[in-house]
Amino acid sequence: MSFRFDRRSVLRGMLGGTAVYMGLPVLDVFLNGNGSAYANGAKLPVRFGTYFWGLGLTDTPTGGTRWVPTKTGPGYEIMPELESLSVVKDKVSVFSGFRAIADAKANQVHWSGHASILTGIAPASASRFDGPTFDTKIADAIGTSTRYKMIDVDASLSRHPVSYSTRTGTTFASPETTALGLYTRLFGPGFQDPNSDNWKPDPSIMLRQSVLSAVKDQRDALMAGVGRADQIKLDQYFNSVREMENQLAIQLQKPAKCEDCIVPAGPKEGPRSASVDVVNANTKTMAKLLAMGLICNQTRVFTFVHTAGSSETYVAGQSKIYHQITHDEPTDAQLGYQPQTSKIAGMVMQAFGDFLVEMNSIKEGDGTLLDHMLVMGFSDTGYAKIHSIENIPMFLAGGAGGKHRAGQHIHTTGESVTRVSLTAMQLVGAPVGEFGTGTMKTSRPITEVMA
Amino acid sequence: MRAERHFTALISAVTVVIAFSSPVLAAWTKTYVVEWNEPAMYYGAKSGVIDPGTDCPNGTNPEVDWIKVLMDAGYTREEAQWLRNPANPTRSPIHGQNQMAFRGKDRANVYTNPTSTPDPGLVGVSGTIAEGLNLDDDVKTGFTSPTGEKGIDNNFYKALGCWKTYRGPPRLSSGALTFNDSMRNGSWTTVIVVSGHGADPMNDKNVKVGIYVSDDKMVKDGNGNIARDYSFRIKPRAQYEGIVTARSVDGRIISTRPAVIMLRNPAYDRDLELLRARIDLTIQPDGALKGYIGGYRPWEPIYRGWVNARGPVIEALTWVQLPAVYYALKRNADYSPKGAKGERTHISYALRISAIPAYVLTPDATQVASSVETYRAIAPQEPERVSGLFALVVDGIVPDRNAKVQAGPNAVILPAASAGNTVETDKQ
Amino acid sequence: MHGIAAAAPVAVAQQTSPELKPIKVAFRRITESQYRHTIADVLGSEIQINARFEPEKRDEGLLAIGTPQLSLTSSGFEQYFALASSISEQALSGKKQAAVVGCKPADAAKADEACARQFIAKYGERLFRRPLTDIEIATRLKTASLGAQQSSDFYAGLKLALTSILVAPEFLFRVETAEPDPGNPQQYRLDGYTKASRIAFLLWDTSPDEELLAAARSGAMHTEAGLKEQLTRLISSPRYEQGARAFFTDMLQLDGFENVVKDPAIYPKFNQSIADGAMEQTLKTTIDLLITKKRDYRDLFTSNATFINRPLAAVYDVPFLSAGEWVPYTFSPSSERFGILTQISFLSLFSHPGTSSPTKRGIKVNEIFKCEPTPNPPADVDFSKVKDSTNGTIRGRLLDHMENAGCTVCHRRSDPPGLALEHFDGLGQLRTTENGVPIDVSADVAGVKVVGAQGLARFLHDDPKVPACLVRNVYAYGVGRKTGIREEDYLADQTKIFAGNGYRVPDLMVQIASSPEFFKVAVPSAARTAAVPSAAATTAVQQSARNQQGVNP
Repeated sequence: MSFRFDRRSVLRGMLGGTAVYMGLPVLDVFLNGNGSAYANGAKLPVRFGTYFWGLGLTDTPTGGTRWVPTKTGPGYEIMPELESLSVVKDKVSVFSGFRAIADAKANQVHWSGHASILTGIAPASASRFDGPTFDTKIADAIGTSTRYKMIDVDASLSRHPVSYSTRTGTTFASPETTALGLYTRLFGPGFQDPNSDNWKPDPSIMLRQSVLSAVKDQRDALMAGVGRADQIKLDQYFNSVREMENQLAIQLQKPAKCEDCIVPAGPKEGPRSASVDVVNANTKTMAKLLAMGLICNQTRVFTFVHTAGSSETYVAGQSKIYHQITHDEPTDAQLGYQPQTSKIAGMVMQAFGDFLVEMNSIKEGDGTLLDHMLVMGFSDTGYAKIHSIENIPMFLAGGAGGKHRAGQHIHTTGESVTRVSLTAMQLVGAPVGEFGTGTMKTSRPITEVMA
Repeated sequence: MRAERHFTALISAVTVVIAFSSPVLAAWTKTYVVEWNEPAMYYGAKSGVIDPGTDCPNGTNPEVDWIKVLMDAGYTREEAQWLRNPANPTRSPIHGQNQMAFRGKDRANVYTNPTSTPDPGLVGVSGTIAEGLNLDDDVKTGFTSPTGEKGIDNNFYKALGCWKTYRGPPRLSSGALTFNDSMRNGSWTTVIVVSGHGADPMNDKNVKVGIYVSDDKMVKDGNGNIARDYSFRIKPRAQYEGIVTARSVDGRIISTRPAVIMLRNPAYDRDLELLRARIDLTIQPDGALKGYIGGYRPWEPIYRGWVNARGPVIEALTWVQLPAVYYALKRNADYSPKGAKGERTHISYALRISAIPAYVLTPDATQVASSVETYRAIAPQEPERVSGLFALVVDGIVPDRNAKVQAGPNAVILPAASAGNTVETDKQ
Repeated sequence: MHGIAAAAPVAVAQQTSPELKPIKVAFRRITESQYRHTIADVLGSEIQINARFEPEKRDEGLLAIGTPQLSLTSSGFEQYFALASSISEQALSGKKQAAVVGCKPADAAKADEACARQFIAKYGERLFRRPLTDIEIATRLKTASLGAQQSSDFYAGLKLALTSILVAPEFLFRVETAEPDPGNPQQYRLDGYTKASRIAFLLWDTSPDEELLAAARSGAMHTEAGLKEQLTRLISSPRYEQGARAFFTDMLQLDGFENVVKDPAIYPKFNQSIADGAMEQTLKTTIDLLITKKRDYRDLFTSNATFINRPLAAVYDVPFLSAGEWVPYTFSPSSERFGILTQISFLSLFSHPGTSSPTKRGIKVNEIFKCEPTPNPPADVDFSKVKDSTNGTIRGRLLDHMENAGCTVCHRRSDPPGLALEHFDGLGQLRTTENGVPIDVSADVAGVKVVGAQGLARFLHDDPKVPACLVRNVYAYGVGRKTGIREEDYLADQTKIFAGNGYRVPDLMVQIASSPEFFKVAVPSAARTAAVPSAAATTAVQQSARNQQGVNP
């Protein structure tokens, strides 16, 4: 389902407030017999999102792994730190042994790992990424027909909002940090219920568009005599203006019906605390809202942060934060790993399992929302104690509309994380043939998981 | 360990020995705010809140069969069923079925006139253990305390201890929860000052305890408990103040002679006047103060307090016939202020309290209270006592001025147009 | 993304007197507080502003250096757009309408160019911080006219025009412009409006007011006397407190309080009102000491006079002897509270949710007060080699870790100031024993033995790096850029003057703002589609893209 329309053509249709909407005919969608496509042959939309948590999973160099399954291929066994995934195991592929390769650059702790996964480039400093993150590329490819091109969420209840999505490397997206904020963005003012029978285009939208065009008309005069760094800033500003214009234009179009869209009730304000149990509860609440936001077609692309790379979370009542425990706790001589760290890693992973379960709980067509989306789950580090960027845990969850042959464990010894990123991009149909720079440059997706 | 909050005073050798009762700087002072207070109702079961136990072998008094009660009062079955149908309040669903008041002889209002109906018989406590204080200095009268002390006088407990609103383990009865919630959310604050002249607060023969109210609200901490160490200014009140002389032995503070005190009651009736009042409070290792404050309180205001909280609502929610409360209090009243021959207008009672360390300041907020004083002389006149809810209550019910049908002795119960059991919604 | 090598000097015939065109030397996104203050000044303080502002960024210790590097995200722009509509609606409705507009249309149901023009010119100038060009006015007139027609309401048109001004980059970014210097046409100088903006934001944290704009218009901003007059006016005004608060909130990193979390199981007394109170206590104390009483900056560390409110009194465990909200309070010596480092704000911001952190506190002492940032831990720290410590106290464990090669270099400098503060837990409460053992608060700070908070306070009071760091911060905050080798001599001179003036902060701000360096033009490297490069600009092109350090002295 792709909307292509011309702002002027829509404007032409509006006369002093009376609504004569043009553009595409109103889509009265009926599913085909299999429930896997629309009657006119267009496929159900595929969504994409990233899910990030900080401090990796437990995997000591001397061999005490708590998450890498021993079997490879389909039917991997559930390891202790992956318990929470057992319910949706057949829809999740596990990728182990992949690493970020910094070449000559230093490993910026809690930064280089996921910067490499998202941009394909090992960053030179810890205050920026050296390229755009690939979720923005996917959003450009599949996100232009929904109200929002992308929604960014940070469930960590931490001191500073965290988002790793960026177009420039310096300015990162500003995420929704509370359930109420996310709800308001998705279902608050400006939401148009796709199943409502009395939809009318809002005449004030045209006026808002005229405000934006007044701003854009100044662009050339403004850009004259501007230095390079500022030009980048202004480009980003005008990009935001364009996205808002796109949003307004879409809102002038009657939204297609979607049966499964049920506007949820507003959430209650939860407690504000960065302890694991509270962050997990917040993740679940926000996952529910996000899932319905996807079904109701408010966006197709999202980024979700459970905890930041240098996570601040802790177990309530314990004076040490998780991050400190990963460094302080010795490896148990008998067990071969850090027991307390591993326990908390399992608690952190619980949120990922819950997240996927929420996506899997909503029916869509002949399957669930999860079947028609792809979530890339990953962390900033492998063995957190030593800030290792080897064996960074990565997962692909969801059916991607049938293209992901899920439920497999793919293991490698030291290949680049960019291969997984590239696989993700291709599974959702982004036109990307190659990803990464330096040793991380690759044009080989992981075909075993691609249908 | 946090520094002890006591103040050493310099007493010059030159000063004349001053009588104990005049304002002198004490050698030590400890100050507290009351974070929980409820009637001391010993719970005799091993678990739950309403289970059968040694105090009430049949458990908490069961729900009342209102149909039977109404029929005993002379209503027909249809009328009784119609009245108990929630769709048919003679008043809005919030304030209850007003007609319930009129169950006395000739349909008298039993809330204002409880003896107009025979005693329904409130089942009271039949156990032998109670918490509280020995108020009459007689070990032969009363209960035995849970620690074996004899002579505990607590007839309030005896009369009402099986009633749902009071029965339960500490902090779990519905009444305790309701009123303490209200207090802890800022409705009122009670503060305590303890001072003495000896060197060791834990063992001091000359202790004084002052109980006052403050207008400063308590603050909850991150776990929902009341936070320690906040500052509260004593509010001089003509009405609420209590000063008790006592002694401490190993941290346990016990009255040395009875007093008359008035506290802010954790209940709908706000005044807790205690004659022959005593205290038994123990300083805990973590700095808190826990124990009992008790005495003889007038019993009829207890009843009136419940009536003024809307009779029909109290009866329905707390599973009781209010006239039974009246009769139970009356027959268990055990003290006459006018001597042995006088009418027993008062009943023995104990309040179980828990207080945490706080800074209690003199009314002008210039210093922490360093001695126990009376502030009644500087208290303003007591304000008029009207609260939003109780202003609406007349004779135990909340009349609805806009209703077509008013509850009353002459009210026609069943609607004229219906016959039998039709249910006509009478939404107000 | 590194700087381009200098293009071979363009084969332009020797230009004898090339025309320098005005250039924009910086775009600095305004902060939330600057946005709010500007709207309150221009449209009235009753305007409600309910929005989520874009996150800011700290660089080299200051948001004033980091945030200017940022642009807007899509969701940020959405917020600004909704906010602009809301502000316009409030400003142009009801009782405010007549006062704000100041002229009447011929027909309230139609467009009216004269009145609209007056409105747009007036508010455009206040909000863009310079007069609008004819084209800029014309564009907004068109918008106003369209809006008036569509809604048959003149004021609806004005609302649209005002909205378009409020979302324009010229409002959301401080656009700093340089023009050819008439006295020296080969060189640039900042234009009068840019100078006016700089001092307005430095001293009042808001956009220039009418008087400042007039001084810019008349050219007075370019004269020493004119500049001095404005500086004196601004610093003597009660509004200076607002600017000082904004500066110290940035320098002391108090913005962290918006999101501080503490574990209620360990610190039950903590809640948002404590956080707000702690921040306010520090600001009140700092302003009272340095701005109102104009005392020596270094007293900030040693003075135990402060302000508290009732919730803070409970955390400090002292009685709150007042009927009011805030009361001046002087801590007793036995409380071990000396100066700003022992206020709850500093102690709780730089700790963990459930425990204190000498390392964090030490890093921040060095970063905030000595301008010595601590580098990130080296990436190749092999934690498997770090000796596991079984020591019982935090101090013991840290000292053990310091024995490890690779850790010593930084921890030796960052931990000691924090160790001296270990009598205060993660909420800032006094605790002198840990597991029953008295806590040792002696530390070796840069070769000097200090004991406890008092010792540390004394050390900072006497360290010449401390006032030098404040001087650097005031300068960097005002110009919105990092400082480097080029500024060293200037900053050293300014520090000498600061010392000579008794370390008084208001004098320092005036002194820096009246120095020529404050308005130095840093020409950025040219954009890809640059205008015809002038000879002077060619040298500027040789700078790297990242370092805007080209200087036209």
